[in-house]
Amino acid sequence: MSTLEILMAGVIAIIGIGLYGLLITRNLIKVVVALQILVKGALLALVAAGEASGQVNLGQSLAITVIVADTVVAVVGLALAVQAKRLLGTLDVDALSTLKG
Amino acid sequence: MTDWLIVLTIGLPWLGALAVWLTGDDRPDQQHRLAVIFSVLAGITALLLIPSTSDSVALRIDVGSVFGDFTFVPDGLGVFLAAVATVVGCLAVVFAVDYMDGEKQLGRFYSFVLLFIGAMVGLVLTGSILLLFIFWEITALTSYALISFHNDDPKAVAGGIKALVMTSFGGVGMLIGGLIVYAYLGDYQISTLLSRADELPSGVLAALAFGFLIAAAAKSAQVPFHTWLPGAMEAPTPVSALIHAATMVNGGVYVLARFYPAFEGVNGWTTAVTVVGLVSALMAALMALVATDLKRVLAYSTVSQLGYMVYAIGVGDIFASQFHLLSHAVFKALLFLSAGAVIHSVGTRDMREMGGLGKQMPFVRNVFVVGSLALAGLPILNGFWSKELILEGGLHDGPVWAYIGMVIGAGITALYTFRMVWLVFYSEPRAKLHVHPAGQMMRLSTGILAAGTATTWLLIGLFGELLEDTLPFHHLHVEAGTTLLGDVLTAPATYLALGVVALGLLAWWFRDLLSGVAASLRPIGDAAAADFGFEWLNRRVALWVTTAGESLRTFQTGSVNWNVAGIVGALIVVLVILALGA
Amino acid sequence: MADMTAFTWMIALPLLAAPVIYLIGRLVRPDGEALTRWAALVMLGLTWIPFAIAASDLNADGVQTYTLGTASLRLDDLGLLLAALSLGLGTIVVFYSGPYMAADDGQEKYYASLVAMVGVMMGLGCAADLFNLWVWFEAMAIASYLLVAFYHEQPTSLEAGVKYLVQSAVGSVFVLLGIALVLSQTGTLDLTEIRAAAPESSIPLLAAGGLFLIGFGVKAALVPMHTWLPDAHSQAPSGISAMLSGVVIEAGLVALLRVLSALVGIGASWGELLMVFGAFNMLIGNLMALRQTQVKRLLAYSSLSHVGYMLLGLGIAFYAQQAAGAEGGFFHMLTHGMMKGLAFLAAGALLYALHASMGDHGPLTISDLSGAAQKYPWAALGLSVAVLGLAGLPPLAGFMSKWQIFVAGFETKNEWIEALVVFAALNSVLSLAYYAPLVNALYRQKPSDAVLAGGPLPSLMNVPLAVLGVAIVAVGVWPSLLDWLSGPAGRALIASFGF
Repeated sequence: MSTLEILMAGVIAIIGIGLYGLLITRNLIKVVVALQILVKGALLALVAAGEASGQVNLGQSLAITVIVADTVVAVVGLALAVQAKRLLGTLDVDALSTLKG
Repeated sequence: MTDWLIVLTIGLPWLGALAVWLTGDDRPDQQHRLAVIFSVLAGITALLLIPSTSDSVALRIDVGSVFGDFTFVPDGLGVFLAAVATVVGCLAVVFAVDYMDGEKQLGRFYSFVLLFIGAMVGLVLTGSILLLFIFWEITALTSYALISFHNDDPKAVAGGIKALVMTSFGGVGMLIGGLIVYAYLGDYQISTLLSRADELPSGVLAALAFGFLIAAAAKSAQVPFHTWLPGAMEAPTPVSALIHAATMVNGGVYVLARFYPAFEGVNGWTTAVTVVGLVSALMAALMALVATDLKRVLAYSTVSQLGYMVYAIGVGDIFASQFHLLSHAVFKALLFLSAGAVIHSVGTRDMREMGGLGKQMPFVRNVFVVGSLALAGLPILNGFWSKELILEGGLHDGPVWAYIGMVIGAGITALYTFRMVWLVFYSEPRAKLHVHPAGQMMRLSTGILAAGTATTWLLIGLFGELLEDTLPFHHLHVEAGTTLLGDVLTAPATYLALGVVALGLLAWWFRDLLSGVAASLRPIGDAAAADFGFEWLNRRVALWVTTAGESLRTFQTGSVNWNVAGIVGALIVVLVILALGA
Repeated sequence: MADMTAFTWMIALPLLAAPVIYLIGRLVRPDGEALTRWAALVMLGLTWIPFAIAASDLNADGVQTYTLGTASLRLDDLGLLLAALSLGLGTIVVFYSGPYMAADDGQEKYYASLVAMVGVMMGLGCAADLFNLWVWFEAMAIASYLLVAFYHEQPTSLEAGVKYLVQSAVGSVFVLLGIALVLSQTGTLDLTEIRAAAPESSIPLLAAGGLFLIGFGVKAALVPMHTWLPDAHSQAPSGISAMLSGVVIEAGLVALLRVLSALVGIGASWGELLMVFGAFNMLIGNLMALRQTQVKRLLAYSSLSHVGYMLLGLGIAFYAQQAAGAEGGFFHMLTHGMMKGLAFLAAGALLYALHASMGDHGPLTISDLSGAAQKYPWAALGLSVAVLGLAGLPPLAGFMSKWQIFVAGFETKNEWIEALVVFAALNSVLSLAYYAPLVNALYRQKPSDAVLAGGPLPSLMNVPLAVLGVAIVAVGVWPSLLDWLSGPAGRALIASFGF
């Protein structure tokens, strides 16, 4: 297997883990963690793409930008989780499924 | 000059609508006055249009983009119907001064009535299919708003929405037509379609023709779309007279007549039109025979009479159909308005509670009887001439089975008409009803309409001439008025039909002797009372759609996990599709 | 650094203003919060100046480019359309929010995020390369998370915010994966260069297109990725609901169009896919709206179906390489922005008068609306005009834009597309079944308890309603009024296919 193929497999595995987490977890903090795992997979993909196209710098600079943007999302997500715990007393996402139909 | 008259005939009622609305509901007298002034002015401008009929475009507005030119053509057909819309419109408004007095939210009522009158004029005068569709939808909107006028009553709301949805459903047929004409022929002009219909691929032309038939059937309350009209009877009676008897419901017949030259060659189209007309005429007549609500009887009778007009178009007798449209508009408006006077006075629409009202309301009885005789087709009222023309044309140009059906329909028409008159005005009073006399305005408007019912047939010559001269694609050869009238008087078909009408009358007279026959016909009566199952079908469709909506809601679970699953699932499906497509 | 051109100022002004607005609210005492709304209004008002200059530059000299380092911004007619939509609705919403939000805490955050979001969306329209596009897209998402969860003391707003954040974040990861695939295959991120470099057929690029479709589709509320939308639109402050429905989901759509037009040469059937999504959006949106009892939720579902109409027009454009479909789709984007903006603002005005001004955060139900026209005639008229326009009744704007899409469909002379147009028209009829009862309720004679107890409506709130209402009627009567925006935008999209 070439490096690229290993990286590809890694991306798929990480994305799979992240999605699996999002599909099954009931805990809001774990939801945010699963999102983080997903983004890590995407980061790996970007770096690998830079490698594949011979533009390693470009791939890395993209990855760093994504980290910045993603941190903001994580902060907002965690803030919402804190607020949920404060308001509802629980982090269970079932408490956050009142809007339906 | 002509262009200004057209603008005024459409614009005056709309201006009036604005004026009444701005006046505010705290000044009802002013609202009544403004509504009457503007509707009468519109009637006058429409009548002034008659001398300037022509087959050329009188007003052209370039809208640009994909909307083409908005044109208006004051040809004989359009101008005549515009005159009917505005004249009956102003009489209905005059009637409403008494009828609606004391109601709340008069501004809403008059605004929509005036908006409707303007839109109806636009509908018949425009030469652009897109604009025709626009006016078509505006009339549907105003009809809905007026049916639901008493919107604290759930029946009125349901009736209005049903009318709106069903006519809009039919409207899709016309929308397709407009799109096809633009996409294949390059503009929206009716004259383009009529002159170049043969350039369309035959399948496309068929879609166009049947699309217009669906649109027309929905608007003119023909089978199987007739179920909205009885529900529309929740509207205040002047509205029923104006929109649901004299004008808007004629829109479908008008459209069929207007586009007839383009569609007559389409395989099966004329037969389909004939059958729709025949079935509507017969079925609605049977339903009118068993209905007990006075306005519903009139509604079914409208469906039935519109069936006659549609039938006439099916057999190719455009002139007779439009002439009957004119007669029917006048006598049915008269019937509705005088029925409105009765209902306003006794406070119920149920004929079983009426009876013997003739003595207390002689004026209303007299005008109602004039209208009824015209409906039944007795000489020498306008309904007689036009119905005989239709039947005569049907005998000459149409299939015999259809003709026989229509003649039987004429007999049933006479039967239900006499039943209605009898139940309301004659026989013994069946309930203690407090009767108060009809107001001056009511007498004025019904009186004028009664005079019209007795005389509009004299216009036959003028009407025929105008249609012949200004409808270049229809190739009508209408004989002189006196010849036509003479023909009717000498044709054997006339006497056959009159005989059947007399049979209908006799059947009512000797109804006690015929009770055995009546009992054996009971199942038909029951089926008619149940609307031959169409109402059931209607409800099933509505129920099916709402159930679908309701059950879909369970898929919106509100759970984050489930929502993410939706995204992932969609990704997988899209990737599979792309992989298969590649 | 190249000279700043007008369009960069158009983007930069709101972005620079946002922190200033925030600081004014935090630092100026005692009434900094009241000052923020004026600051926001003035800043967005000023942004119209560079917008007008940029529009005339674009008209005179063609596409405007601005390069900073390796990143570049490019204003074309599609970008101008999105800028006009976001700036137009943004200005109206800021004006409206003055009275609507007057009693709320944290206005500095509200206005700062709102102004920033307007700037970011204008930037999104001008992004010339994939990664730039993603950054603007993510920035828009972050600004809108804050706004959706603005009432963070309300459990339901919080819930809506969480779902919106999670689903958008998943979508954004898919977009990143797509970007990685494109970069690995073509070695470039510039949209025009991708088009040139893309091979005739390439499985990784097809997968990238699928990822973009789903990723941006979450934001554009394509069924079945739409599940965040009814919650977010109904729980956000009403002005934000108008922005979300009128501009944000359309911005997602524009982003999607940008990337798909770069991938148009790889032989995938993007047009068909868009049309299929359009059909689902129309049907599901309408059916879901049919049984709603809450006004804002009903309007949210109706947004789904309207995205469906846009997708239909744009799908036709992709399928037939024909500008008419795109012009119709973009025209509908504009008219939908006006109509749905008005609908949410008018519903919001009623929500304010009947519930919010009483300190009650409950939803506005259809039965609450009974007889509202007597007490709040302008808000009721505005809501009626908006929903009748959305239903596509002439002579209102919605009819004209739907008609343009339908004409485009028939001009393809393809019977499947013609059938789809008929399906779309039938969907409009179906939508009447939930719009009409809404209008009926407003004009009932017997007022509901909520209306009887309702508080006064600040008259200033009627101004934005009147502006939008007049615009809807004007465009309905004179449909070519917006041609200068939607026409060139449609042609720009077709031109960007590079055929």
